[in-house]
Amino acid sequence: MPHTEGQPIVVFENVTKDYPGGVNALHDVSFRVFSGEFISLVGSSGAGKSTLLKLIYAEEIPTAGTIYFKGRPIKDINRKHLPFFRRNIGTIFQDYKLLPQKTAFENIAYALEVDGRSAKEIREEVGELLEIVGLGGKGEKFPRELSGGEQQRVAIARALIHHPQIICADEPTGNLDPVSTKEITDLLLEINSYGTTVIVATHKKEVVDQLGKRVISLIDGRLRHDEAKGKYNIKL
Amino acid sequence: MQRTLKLWRTFKEGMTNFRRNGWLSLATIIILSLSLFIISLAGLITVGTRLIVSNLENRISITVSFNPDVNEGRILEIKQYLERAREIASIEYVSRDQALDVFLENNGSDPIIRQAIDEIGENPLLASLVIHAKQQSDYQKISTFLEASPYRTDINRINFEKNRKIFERLKHIGATTRKFGLAVGGAFGLIAILITFNTIRITIYSHRQEFEIMRLVGASNLYVRMPYIFEGILYGIFAGVTAVILVALSAYGLSGYTEGAFPQGNIFQVFTAYLPTIAVSTICLGIFLGVISSFIAIHRYLKA
Repeated sequence: MPHTEGQPIVVFENVTKDYPGGVNALHDVSFRVFSGEFISLVGSSGAGKSTLLKLIYAEEIPTAGTIYFKGRPIKDINRKHLPFFRRNIGTIFQDYKLLPQKTAFENIAYALEVDGRSAKEIREEVGELLEIVGLGGKGEKFPRELSGGEQQRVAIARALIHHPQIICADEPTGNLDPVSTKEITDLLLEINSYGTTVIVATHKKEVVDQLGKRVISLIDGRLRHDEAKGKYNIKL
Repeated sequence: MQRTLKLWRTFKEGMTNFRRNGWLSLATIIILSLSLFIISLAGLITVGTRLIVSNLENRISITVSFNPDVNEGRILEIKQYLERAREIASIEYVSRDQALDVFLENNGSDPIIRQAIDEIGENPLLASLVIHAKQQSDYQKISTFLEASPYRTDINRINFEKNRKIFERLKHIGATTRKFGLAVGGAFGLIAILITFNTIRITIYSHRQEFEIMRLVGASNLYVRMPYIFEGILYGIFAGVTAVILVALSAYGLSGYTEGAFPQGNIFQVFTAYLPTIAVSTICLGIFLGVISSFIAIHRYLKA
C-alpha cells in the first residue's frame, strides 16, 4: 500500500482525459501523492504517463474528474494565475526543453526573471544551483555546447529555482547513457531527500527497480498497480 | 518598480534575441525593407505625379480680351472689380502695346508676320486681363461670372473654351494617376505586407517550442510576447531606415530624367523636400508592420 500520512499535495479523483479524435489517454484514474514522496510512474509508450504529468502542471485539463493541488481544484485556477501556479511545480523533460539561444546560466535565471527578482538575487541563487547540480564553471555555455547529462542538470537546476513543492520529471533519463542516468537519478533522490516531492515518469526497468520507492503503473490509460515499494512490473 | 524591471528585461531579451539570431534578423530586415521601399516609392511617385499635374495647373490661365475702344482706365476698373472675387488668385493686365511686344518677341523673326503687321498699319492685338484662379474648377465660374457682369459689352472674347479641353484633360490625367497610384500602391503594399507578415511568422514559428518552455517555467503570456514585440520594433526601425536610403538612391538615380518636371526641380529635390515626412512615415509603418506581425504570429502559440 502507498504512503498515506499527512496532507496530500496532489489528488487525482476519477480523472479521465480524452484527446480530440477519440483518443482515451487516461481512464478513471484516482490516487494521492503525499508531500516528500518519490514516485515512479511506469508504463509503456502511450500508456498515459506524460498526460498524467501534464494534468498536474495544468498543461492539459481533464475531460472528467478533478485534480487537486494542495486541496484546491486545479480547474478553478484562473488562466491569468497559471504562471504563478506553475512556479510551485518544477518540470523536467526527456528532451531537456532548454532555450537554445540562452546560456545555461540564462536558462536557469529566466525562471527567476519572470518572477521579477533582483539581478543580485538571481546571480547568487543561480550560481549556487549550478554548483549543486555539478555545473559550476559551465554557466556561460550554450545548451549545444553541453552533453545530454549536463543539459539535463541545467533543466533540473531550472526546475529547482523556485524551490517547488513538487517536481514532475517526464522520462528525464530517456536520452541518457547508463552513467548519466545514474547521476541524474541520484540527483533526483538527493532533491527528494531535502523534502521535495518527485514524480518520475519512466520506462527504464533498472532505474525503477534500483530505487525501491512507490511505483504507479499505467496500462492503456488505466491505473493498474500502486505499490509503496514497487518494482517495474509492466510486461512488454 | 517590478513592472519597469520586467519591461527592461523583456527589452534586453529582445535585443539579445535580435543579436543572437543574426541571420534570421537580417533576412527579416531585408524583406521588410523591400516591402517598405515598394510602398514608399509608390507613395513618392503618386505625390510626384500630383505635383506635376498641379504644377501644370498653375501655369494655366484664362485671358479676357477687351474691345479696342475700351480704354485702360476702364480695364483697370474691371480688374479691381474682379479682384474682389474669392476664386481668383491673381490678375495681370496686359496692354495692347505689351501684347504686341510679346507677340513680336515670339514671332518677329518671321518675315511674313512682320510684313502682315506692317500692312495693317496699326496694332491688331487687344488689351487683356490674364486671370489665374485658385482652383482649376473655378475657371468655369469666373467665365460665367464675366459673361453675366455689367462689363460684358466691353469684353471681346474669353479664351476659356479654348483652354477648357486642356483643363479637362489635365483633370482626367490627375484623376487617373491618383486612381492608378492608389491601385498599384495599394496592391504592392498589400503584397509587401503579406510577405513581411509571413517572414515574421516563420521567424516566430522557429521559436514556437521556446514559448511552451517559457510558459512552463512560469512566464506570463505578456512576458513571453514582449521581447518579440521589441524585436518587431527593431526590425521596423532598421528596415525603415534602409528603405528610406533605397528610396533616396532611386530618386537620385531618376533625378536626371525628371529635371524641371516639378516646382521643386527634379524628383530627388522633391524627395529632399518631403524627407522628414517620408522618413517618419516609412519608419512608423515599418514599426507598425513589425509589431503587428509579431503580435499576430505569436498569438496562436500563446493560448493557455
